[in-house]
Amino acid sequence: MSTVTQSTQPSSARASFVPTGSGLSFLGLLKSESIKLWSLRSTYWSFSLVVVAAVGIAVLMSFAMAGRSAIGFDNTEMVVLVSTAGLSLGQLIVAVLGVLSISGEYSSGMIKSTLTAVPNRLPALWAKVTVLFGFTFLVGLVSVVGSYLVALPILGAKDITANLFDSAVLLPLLGNALFLALIAVFAIGIGTIVRSSAGGIASALGIILLLPTVVGLFSFLVDWVADIVPFLFTSAGSQMVAPTTMESWQAFLVVLAWVAVSLGTAALLLKRRDA
Amino acid sequence: MIQAQSLTKHYGSKTAVDAVDFTVQPGKVTGFLGPNGAGKSTTMRMIVGLDRPSLGSVIVNGKPYHEHKAPLREVGVLLDAKAVHTGRSAYNHLRAMAATHNIPTSRVHEVINLTGLESVARKRVGGFSLGMGQRLGIAAALLGDPATLILDEPVNGLDPEGVQWVRKLTKQLASEGRTVLLSSHLMSEMALTADHLIVLGRGRVIADASVADIIKSAAQDSVRVRTPHTAALAALLAGADVTITNVEQDVLEISGLTVNEIGDRAAAAQISLHELSAMSASLEDAYMKLTQNEVEYRTGDTHAEAEVAR
Repeated sequence: MSTVTQSTQPSSARASFVPTGSGLSFLGLLKSESIKLWSLRSTYWSFSLVVVAAVGIAVLMSFAMAGRSAIGFDNTEMVVLVSTAGLSLGQLIVAVLGVLSISGEYSSGMIKSTLTAVPNRLPALWAKVTVLFGFTFLVGLVSVVGSYLVALPILGAKDITANLFDSAVLLPLLGNALFLALIAVFAIGIGTIVRSSAGGIASALGIILLLPTVVGLFSFLVDWVADIVPFLFTSAGSQMVAPTTMESWQAFLVVLAWVAVSLGTAALLLKRRDA
Repeated sequence: MIQAQSLTKHYGSKTAVDAVDFTVQPGKVTGFLGPNGAGKSTTMRMIVGLDRPSLGSVIVNGKPYHEHKAPLREVGVLLDAKAVHTGRSAYNHLRAMAATHNIPTSRVHEVINLTGLESVARKRVGGFSLGMGQRLGIAAALLGDPATLILDEPVNGLDPEGVQWVRKLTKQLASEGRTVLLSSHLMSEMALTADHLIVLGRGRVIADASVADIIKSAAQDSVRVRTPHTAALAALLAGADVTITNVEQDVLEISGLTVNEIGDRAAAAQISLHELSAMSASLEDAYMKLTQNEVEYRTGDTHAEAEVAR
């Protein structure tokens, strides 16, 4: 902590004003963005809902899966499926949260405060991205591990078990938490580009939910369109943990490319536009 | 100190700020005046880097705003009372702002006390009145104890006590050697607060002088005379530099002559006067005169408006 001499006593005129204490620092921006994130009720609601939905769906699915035996999954696959299935609802929630984290600043006028504090602008964006990525990853981790823990006794009753620290279990769980955090970051980019909550949420959910369906439909009309499908944001995200047409690492790169395009465009526009 | 050089801002084909040059000096309160749409807010936004100048430049405390290592400690700005997320409490807003510059929480408490927000600091800003929002905006501007303060309409929405508080605060900040740039539409308030004025009209500087000089140059002092013999008096006093207006049936307003001259000459001509009083020009008169050709959005004749309303 820096020692700061604050001169609030206005009694004597000072010859010159030399700013005291430290100035802008990225650590300070991270702190600022954490305060911003956790001083809004919507953050608590959203993150709680992610965990509750994930764990709730895991419970339902465990009972459903435990009820019928042998449907073509081995034990490990089944445990992974049950532990991660509920996160798909969480994906939509964090997409909305990501858009709102920046569009809320535009709609309320807060952005002017943010950008006068950080006139170079981009550090504020990177700080927001880092903070939301970190907390969303944690929430994702709590969701999948929580889901695993509630599913285990239910599935275990049918002798379906898998060790959490088995790489075939741990990696997909981590991958799902990572994709969740990357969705939030992708959505910050969309929110920054669009600068409106309604438009941002519609665009983000459109890309996550609607695009696979629309492209899927077109693939019936035009052959080569089917080849695009694996490269869509959502399909690449699911292939990160359950590879089909490409390797996990390739799918991860595709996801990163989506995030990079979203954030890159956002950064360019944020830097250029009048606030 | 704020220095603008041929500062220009175009929005499409419209020129909001047209090559303005001015310097805002430390140690005094500089009023920033102009009709709506004259470019005051745009200029203020350009000073703190929210809008990029189309041409020209503006520097604060010796550098472009974005080159400062600790901008909030250099410049405190209130642009819009609503530059706060409505879902956040005043305390958390200030804490988040302070964190960017590693300003300690003790300073947050100080500015909360200074602006009288103690009782509402933990409440969400969405429920704030306009006046409380202004106080929060001023608190945020003071957070970094900056050498330069830019306050856009700080008294807007404040109660009389609040208006007086802003007046004292800005004067005090200037007396400490800070640069204070203040915009307001309340001419009477500006006349009491500001030492120096920069008047904008349609994006150009139309006056840049001390308050006294502006009043002197733009509006003339006049003398109000009540007499039953208006015609005779008017004929007596008429001259090259004298303007005589018959404001009521038996009342004349005369500029270009002093009270003494009018009284003496009327006495010499044996014209009886029932009232003879000096009227000093107000800043408002001066402002109206300065900006009468510069108003962007002129209100129609009130009579015509009444017609439309019917």
